[in-house]
Amino acid sequence: MSRTPTDPRLFRLPEADDLRPRLLGSYAERSGLYFWPRRKRCPVTGGPVVDCDLDPEGVLFAWTFLHVPRMGSISFGDSGGYGVGQIDLPEGVRIQAPLVGTPDDWQIGSRMALTTFPVGQDDDGNELVTFRFEVIR
Amino acid sequence: MATRLSRPVYVIGVGMHPFNNQRLSSESMADVAGMAALGDAGIAFAEVGALYNGYLGGGVTSGVAIAKELGLTGIPVTHVENASATGSCAFGEAVHAVGGGRVDVAMALGFDDMNRMSGLGRGKRGRVGAEDIMLPAAFFAMWATRRMHDVGTTVDTFAQIAAKNWNHARLNPMAQRQADHEVTPDEVLASTMISYPHTSMMACAAGGGAAAAIVATREVAERVARGRPLVRVIASQQRSETYTDGHVFLGAVIGPAQMTRDTAGDAYEQAGLGPSDLDLVQVHDAFPVEELVYYELLGICADGEGDRLVADGATRLGGRIPFSTDGGLTARGHPGGPTGLAQIHETTLQLRHEAGVRQVDAARTGLCHMAGAGSVCVVHILQRES
Repeated sequence: MSRTPTDPRLFRLPEADDLRPRLLGSYAERSGLYFWPRRKRCPVTGGPVVDCDLDPEGVLFAWTFLHVPRMGSISFGDSGGYGVGQIDLPEGVRIQAPLVGTPDDWQIGSRMALTTFPVGQDDDGNELVTFRFEVIR
Repeated sequence: MATRLSRPVYVIGVGMHPFNNQRLSSESMADVAGMAALGDAGIAFAEVGALYNGYLGGGVTSGVAIAKELGLTGIPVTHVENASATGSCAFGEAVHAVGGGRVDVAMALGFDDMNRMSGLGRGKRGRVGAEDIMLPAAFFAMWATRRMHDVGTTVDTFAQIAAKNWNHARLNPMAQRQADHEVTPDEVLASTMISYPHTSMMACAAGGGAAAAIVATREVAERVARGRPLVRVIASQQRSETYTDGHVFLGAVIGPAQMTRDTAGDAYEQAGLGPSDLDLVQVHDAFPVEELVYYELLGICADGEGDRLVADGATRLGGRIPFSTDGGLTARGHPGGPTGLAQIHETTLQLRHEAGVRQVDAARTGLCHMAGAGSVCVVHILQRES
């Protein structure tokens, strides 16, 4: 069974020597700004952008823990809920995503890295995966 | 950036159906609010030149269907939607319709039932992933944890703000949450944890309801005043996002906090006054951290000093600058479409000195702020003319 991203416009699975998945961003040369998800043009200057892969590691800017076990159709099982956070990547992009672990694991300023987790199967029987961030230990 | 009004605009009538959790018909609630506003203004629907309906969940053509109950007068009827700021935007459209010379009288009518809306957290093709919309409880909880880290805000401060708004709602018959006792911060903290540090009593009351406001030219306002003071709309401003450091493009419920500061700046400039001139304020207090941050973004106090306002009781009824005098989204409720119009209803009553037991002494100028997912920010400033 192969693995498939839930939304291939947002991220890709590890390729070749990659240790981690990568978020798919844009870079605008005129403004020097990076964006995620990809933009059609720079929202600041209106200038052109080029596709880029963003660094899979960053720093935790903020977090919370939702005391409900489900996010849409995803069940987080017996964990009693799930964490979400905002992670600042070195390119200056802030990503909002679920977190691996429990509140004891997270501190603002923690080093975080992108990882995947399964969320079911598609119609062809492929394993659907999405992304979240985990603390780098 | 700021928009202008080419002639003065006045609120001549307001009306509401109480916000509630009874799953009532939106159409019936809208009719009650609309007719109440017409009665308050002392005019017939035939005098209304344009109607702006604000709703999120009513379905296609709901607005024009409801207008048929008010009267088949042939006027333009327009659906306005901007998430939580829907009612505020409908009001803004009505204000600009009069202020821009399109009509002499315009009506904004908001109705909804948040309990009947669905789809949050549901992704494309029924799949849900990390990239999907974040629950507002979680998004604003991250504002809270970051503020606790940066400023040292405690959960007690959040609980005090929520308790204040619950207790303001006890004085408002239109409020959804009607506690039968004085609500304490300890009680707020002891309620069910939703998304740390937010408990269920800190979360806005999602429910149903309707609210309406009618605006008009000075000539009309003077004709229908019947001895009441005129309430003028001295600022009507709306913004969407501008790029800021750490801009979150996907999943953010509302955009950068700077949007509130910028929109308020536009409104103060248009009104020709500043935050020290305000007597009362209504904000998008879906969670108490929002109200706390808006104290600063609206310029009521310096950055980082909002916690002191809470400790001093400055934003309670009877305080220096009362916020969320009708209970706010926290306790008056947040049905969606009518929420921003409920702010206009409350502020108009306050400025006429008709707010009864929750009246702010000598209220002359009030500000209404709403944020909407997507995102947008709307600020109106209303002033009593002597």
